[in-house]
Amino acid sequence: MDSNQSMRLLSSWIGQIGDLGLNLLWRFIHIVVSLWYIVSGISEAIESYAISLGLNKKYSSIDLEKLRCLAVVVDIEAVQDVAKVVELLQWLTTIGVKQVGLFDSQGLLKKSKDLILETVPGSMLLEEIGKDFSPDGKRIALEFISSSDNKEAVMKAANILLQRYLKSSHPENDQGENFFTESHLNEALGVVGENVHVPDLLLVYGPIRSHLGFPAWRLRYTEIVHMGTLKYMRYGSLLKAIHKFTGVHQNYGT
Amino acid sequence: MIFIHSIIHAKHLQFFTLSTMLSLLCFLLSLLFLLLLPCLRPCFSAKGSLKDKKKIDKGTYVVGEEEPPKGLRRELMPRHVAVIMDGNRRWAKQAGLLTSQGYEAGAKRLIEFAELCFKLGINTVSAFAFSTENWGRHKIEVKCLMYLFQRYLKSKIQFFQSKEIRVSVIGNLAKIPESLLGIITEIEDATKSYKKKHLILAIDYSGRFDILRACKSIVKKSEQGLIREEEVDETLLERELQTKCTEFPSPDLLIRTSGEQRISNFFLWQLAYTELFFSPVLWPDFDKDKLLDALDSYQRRERRFGCRV
Repeated sequence: MDSNQSMRLLSSWIGQIGDLGLNLLWRFIHIVVSLWYIVSGISEAIESYAISLGLNKKYSSIDLEKLRCLAVVVDIEAVQDVAKVVELLQWLTTIGVKQVGLFDSQGLLKKSKDLILETVPGSMLLEEIGKDFSPDGKRIALEFISSSDNKEAVMKAANILLQRYLKSSHPENDQGENFFTESHLNEALGVVGENVHVPDLLLVYGPIRSHLGFPAWRLRYTEIVHMGTLKYMRYGSLLKAIHKFTGVHQNYGT
Repeated sequence: MIFIHSIIHAKHLQFFTLSTMLSLLCFLLSLLFLLLLPCLRPCFSAKGSLKDKKKIDKGTYVVGEEEPPKGLRRELMPRHVAVIMDGNRRWAKQAGLLTSQGYEAGAKRLIEFAELCFKLGINTVSAFAFSTENWGRHKIEVKCLMYLFQRYLKSKIQFFQSKEIRVSVIGNLAKIPESLLGIITEIEDATKSYKKKHLILAIDYSGRFDILRACKSIVKKSEQGLIREEEVDETLLERELQTKCTEFPSPDLLIRTSGEQRISNFFLWQLAYTELFFSPVLWPDFDKDKLLDALDSYQRRERRFGCRV
């Protein structure tokens, strides 16, 4: 019995030492991985500053032909700092982006619209521009969007189509096939003020990787990039994201 | 004097060397202590846990469910995970296999993925299997895909029944072969009574078409007098979307594999506040570890659903 007990005790000790050793190894791996993340974060920051200073020739000229419309989603906490939004827009103007849709879920940017238009040189409201107008030089067309342009707008547009359908003379078996098409809904969205400018690229500034209710109807093939918080935005990272987008190839499902 | 100085100098040197070594030793011991401290805690609590095990309320343990790995919390698990299974063709090309083999590997991966999600306590898993735009692919490839869906669904009916997984298929379904439609009806009927685990397959699905279809459904109900025009609102439209088949229509987490960073017309309405996780890994390689990474990333995020906290 004594030898059995001592064997059990010994095996329990060996087990505990083994567990300790494995835990130690796990903690060591954790430290190595954390150091790796720190190092990659630092190198990313250095790369970003190098891009900002124009040291990286790869980003010195970007072909923006593919980027007809850019959208920016800003977290509501960050929106309070309008200066940062203005700075971002100035950077985008410098890069040569012609059309930007600014979105925040609560519509706070819409309220600061006048301030932003005044502070960002060369900026104008997209809705004031004619269809044939194309901004030249360092001019940028801005659109201010909020959650009310998302589901609420689709609902209003759906109601318009419903009213049109009910007022029209249609066969009994008709289930609205000719009334409820994408182009009809696009047109109805235009009537309710939701000009469907489909962004090619959506930059999300915020702590979470979500588009925070950006108008769903527009997002079909939009490239979505999470940029981190607006507070720590970097010109180099912005340039890198746009440059990466210009290299993306879309199959559109085919 | 010089001799005394040299002795004193030697003594100082010795002392200095000794103190340096002692400091280094202290530093290493502190580092070791910092490393060991978290390791020692479980050891000290290990003895207690043997007693505690007896006190565990057996009512909280659900048979078949897996304990979430360390770092993940069960109460923070998403209720609905959606996945865009991208990269099957590229995977096959990289592996020197046929495209159809890539799709087979993708189908197998989906079953493993869904099973693991359910074990971790996730209620609903939805997968973007075939989009409306995919009809534009080569006819033979599309035919292969339809045949794969048919064969796989048919072979897995018993599996889904044994695991009590409800299977629903959403999408236009107007163009898919009759034989596949038959299998879909069979599997939906065979599994409709199961509530806890729900697998939704989106075949011939388009987010825009889903919204339009919901509008048409409202029109039909309005004509039948079931709803009035003024009652049409977001909630009503949401109830008419194809995700009405699930208790949790809006995914908490969307995973897209193969490095593409877009939603490609999947669940446009439903993804408003969904956490988006874009993984560079190709879908057939998206194993348990990658899923845990995605869940870990999800649990770290502070989701505010557009409101200020």
